[in-house]
Amino acid sequence: MNRISEHPILGNTEMGRKVAFFMDGKQMEGYEGEPIAVALKAGGVMIHRYTQKNHEPRGIFCAIGRCTDCVMIVDGVPNIRTCITPLVSGMRIQTQDGVTALEVTE
Amino acid sequence: MKRYDLIVVGAGPSGLSAAIEAARCGLTVAVFDENAKPGGQLFKQIHKFFGSKEHQAKIRGYKIGETLLSEADAVGVKVFLNATVSGMYMDKEILVRRGDAMEHCKADAIIIATGASENMVTFDGWTLPGVIGAGAAQTMMNLYSIQPGQRVLMLGSGNVGLVVSFQLMQAGCEVIALVDASPRIGGYGVHASKIARCGVPFYLSHTITKAEGPDCITGVEISQVDDHFTPIPGTQKHFDVDTICMAVGLSPMSQLLKMAGCSMIDDPRRGGQVPLVDENGETSIPGIFAAGDVSGIEEASSAMIEGRMSGLSAAAYLGFLSEKDKDSSLNELEVALNSLHQGMFAPGSKGKAFTKTDEGIAVSQSLLKKGYLDEADIARFNHFDKKSGVHPVIECTQNIPCNPCQDACPKDCIKIGKTITALPRIDADSTCTGCGMCVASCSGQAIFLVDEDYEPGYASITLPYEFLPRPQKGDLGTALSRSGQPLGVAEIIDVRSAKAFDHTTLVTMKVPVAQAMTARFYKREAQRAEL
Repeated sequence: MNRISEHPILGNTEMGRKVAFFMDGKQMEGYEGEPIAVALKAGGVMIHRYTQKNHEPRGIFCAIGRCTDCVMIVDGVPNIRTCITPLVSGMRIQTQDGVTALEVTE
Repeated sequence: MKRYDLIVVGAGPSGLSAAIEAARCGLTVAVFDENAKPGGQLFKQIHKFFGSKEHQAKIRGYKIGETLLSEADAVGVKVFLNATVSGMYMDKEILVRRGDAMEHCKADAIIIATGASENMVTFDGWTLPGVIGAGAAQTMMNLYSIQPGQRVLMLGSGNVGLVVSFQLMQAGCEVIALVDASPRIGGYGVHASKIARCGVPFYLSHTITKAEGPDCITGVEISQVDDHFTPIPGTQKHFDVDTICMAVGLSPMSQLLKMAGCSMIDDPRRGGQVPLVDENGETSIPGIFAAGDVSGIEEASSAMIEGRMSGLSAAAYLGFLSEKDKDSSLNELEVALNSLHQGMFAPGSKGKAFTKTDEGIAVSQSLLKKGYLDEADIARFNHFDKKSGVHPVIECTQNIPCNPCQDACPKDCIKIGKTITALPRIDADSTCTGCGMCVASCSGQAIFLVDEDYEPGYASITLPYEFLPRPQKGDLGTALSRSGQPLGVAEIIDVRSAKAFDHTTLVTMKVPVAQAMTARFYKREAQRAEL
């Protein structure tokens, strides 16, 4: 688990409500209002998308909504910056492949 | 179209400071920021700030952020969040994107305080997931309480690289190594020493030659570089890491100023494309000001002063403040700003290699190359008559703008004087009571209390500790040297926490008297077995 529950300076972490969401069809849990990227990282997801031309993996890079490396398909909309988009209960997140969803074989 | 007296772009330290000053003078002020939360990078700064009282030294960055927000609220500053300013046009008109809507707003004066963005360097594999900016690491661990990685390699030894490395360890991550292509550590020696004494190695004159991994980082290869920063074949070293963090400088985000037609210059010392500004931050266009990192990369303390100066200047420009009142306020702020602009790390000193301190003492080369002082260096800087009993040992050997230790001591034991970049001196005539206020007040964690006469054959050493779990009285662990090398068994004889220490725990350990001047950190029992 890579969540920091207690910090020497910041103290105990106050989390929002625990909610379920879907990552490429699989159910995961996160905290309401935290960036989607944080919930994914807590669940061990490193790859957010593949580039269109060379099919190279990309993940979080700047974490402040500037670099657009972490964009994914959120509720059917592509190119959503997951590092600054708050998690909502029931959200459907998909790995982006170019500008469409990656086909996931179950 | 919405109209204001003053529009500020950016709700970070300089923008908020500017807005507060202007609103206090009676201006209607709107602040626009593209982020969901105000405060810029302040809420990610969990270390104690440097400077002196007027710069809010020894207060942690996020606390300063909270104060700024409540001040802005109290004086009626309107802060618009999730509001991206995407254009600035003639006659001080701006275009703001809020959600799916674009809005035009206009003001009689504009202050641009957009800050800076992180630089990056490219190497084989640098786009792999797991390669992140140092700012990203801070955002993840300090705002969203998630570890950026388990095993991290930091590239860049400037203050950002050093401070973030320490914060990574505070978040429970392991920092495997700190790498910099420069032959010298770029940031404050005291920041480097905090990391070195935990055992983190520094690789100067090295750079990353390869980030390894099939689809995310599993390792990194570094190589030594020659005088032209070219990797030397055959010098490769490999580390198993899951995260590579880059702290390789910042660039001003000055696009809006350029767009509005302000005269720009390319100034590497200030970080790149910056506007030409006068001493109060006014650009070549009357009524348009720039404050903080956008007009030259520095740090939050000077950004706040620059912000206040531009806020007052904007108020005077619009007739809300008399020239006389403006001048007297600005003079005071200029003195505060100048005091930050002194010493070895002053903006004007960038790239200079100092061989001596202002006091004429030869600087520690070990500190610059390895991150810690060697024993020979200590003797040069701690020249005081050893008395019996507890006394402070101050390992602050560079001229940096900081003086909280001087005010911290209730016995006036520590003297810096008016020039805040001067090295602290210990007054031999004062008697140390061992209260520990100096230890907790030192933003660089460079003050220790040493008692060579604690018990026959044993000395006590009190050190600042900001990790979890905190040691407990009676614990047995390992004393570590300044380079993080194990010296032997240490017993914890006192653990002190107090509100005045602000989350810094003072840990006192008992070590053989021969280690009184070498033991500077403590490793807990649980970790001892791994040694």
